[in-house]
Amino acid sequence: MSLSFKVPIFDVKNINFSAASQHILSNVSLEIFNGEYIAIIGPNGGGKTTLARILLGLTQPTSGEVKLYGKKLKAFKNWEKIGYVPQRASHVDENFPATVEDIVKMGVTSKHSFFSILSKEEKQRIEESMLKMDVLDLKEKMVGKLSGGQRQRAMIARALASKPEILILDEPNTGVDMVSQKRFYALLRKLNKEENITILFITHDVGVIADDISRLFTVNQKITICNSPKETLSCDEMSALYGIETHSIHQHKHHEH
Amino acid sequence: MFEMFEYDFMQRAFLAGVLIATLASISGTFIVLKRYSMMSETLAHSALVGVAVGLVAGFNPLWMAVVVAVLSAWMIEYLRSTFALYSDAILSILLSGSLAVAIIIVSLGGAFNNSLFSYLFGSILSVSQADILTIVGFGSVALLLLLLFSKELYFIAYDEEVAKTSGIKVTLLNYLLVSVVAIIIALSIRVVGSLLIGALMVIPTVAALQFRVGFLKTVLISLFIALGSVIVGMTLSYYYSLPSGATIVLCVIAIFILSLSLNKR
Repeated sequence: MSLSFKVPIFDVKNINFSAASQHILSNVSLEIFNGEYIAIIGPNGGGKTTLARILLGLTQPTSGEVKLYGKKLKAFKNWEKIGYVPQRASHVDENFPATVEDIVKMGVTSKHSFFSILSKEEKQRIEESMLKMDVLDLKEKMVGKLSGGQRQRAMIARALASKPEILILDEPNTGVDMVSQKRFYALLRKLNKEENITILFITHDVGVIADDISRLFTVNQKITICNSPKETLSCDEMSALYGIETHSIHQHKHHEH
Repeated sequence: MFEMFEYDFMQRAFLAGVLIATLASISGTFIVLKRYSMMSETLAHSALVGVAVGLVAGFNPLWMAVVVAVLSAWMIEYLRSTFALYSDAILSILLSGSLAVAIIIVSLGGAFNNSLFSYLFGSILSVSQADILTIVGFGSVALLLLLLFSKELYFIAYDEEVAKTSGIKVTLLNYLLVSVVAIIIALSIRVVGSLLIGALMVIPTVAALQFRVGFLKTVLISLFIALGSVIVGMTLSYYYSLPSGATIVLCVIAIFILSLSLNKR
């Protein structure tokens, strides 16, 4: 691929991860470049979330190396470039005392080491993030009272407030209705195309974003990288590997046309 | 009603009470949100070991309580992050263990008397000028640290892992929070007693959470509830000769029940 001369955002070499004498990830290597939109699919328990956690330094691999912007994770300092929305984000504790604005403000927290008084520019960025994710009208609303789709967008707005260069989203669609999901995918597409934000999207439902993604990683202990997902999504190899997902891909495609 | 302020000891008692209510409720918000409520009970008992050492060895018991509570908080935080699965068991072992050590020290030192008793149940009316100075000194540092890092601590309470991937020094700030809480608890046991301080730290926040409002409002409601309970509790305790710590705790529980019924879903 033509981007190969650039320094990748993520450069992962020979990652292995085992837990309780079970092999979760085996010899995983990958590179992620600026501006890509990558979907990661795979069966439950196949190691998708573990891989994301290893990329973020939340889980230590048994062996192998992860470099972020050319630096080892421990030496990496510019975490504001990374926006992470974990799987559990949509299951927020309903009683947690936070309005949408409180949550989005967290996105600029890492910039402060002392008194957390926001600058004009930061306030503006918070408003912009809420506007982009269509939650500005909800800023006074408690997160516990939001619908699944609204909550999901609020979480992404939080990640956007730090002006990230890459968004890592771990199945943020759980409990979100189809209409909200479509709206969400359109927003992601816009972030990727118009703002050049790299997206790494872990999902079990790749069909609906098939036209947007640049590459597809399938993770089931080992990683298979598909450089032209549109062709791969319909190929027999995929059917054999991920029968259910491929089936749903065709269904979505069918609905769209 | 204001005749009670004619006495120096009542003025000191109110001042100490208001300071402690402020410190306990603000730090309590983070404690409750991080699900560390049980830790406040454990630290209150560890602080008693410091009091016991102070009483027997002739050091300032409040200072010793601060030192032992902070060391104990570090140990708890270390064990919690290392053996996450058993963190509640660790807390209960440390709680009863500390109380046992405190009682043994005091009884070996021949000082098992009213002094320790007053730290168990609180003795706000015997707060001295030196106690006030200690509370103001340590308390201002604790409050300043909480305010300086309130946004970061709030983010960590919301989601520790996301905070970590946003570049926040989660481990360091967790240690900072438990140290601040340990200091506040050690200072508070003079006023409400080690058996009752957990209530003043946790209940105002739990009551405030019933109103389902944003973070800042929750902190302010919690502060208001704590101050109200301390002021009403101490006034009642003065006029009806009731023990101050227990009266304060019953007041805060009454407000909690009221806020539950006001915010019935």
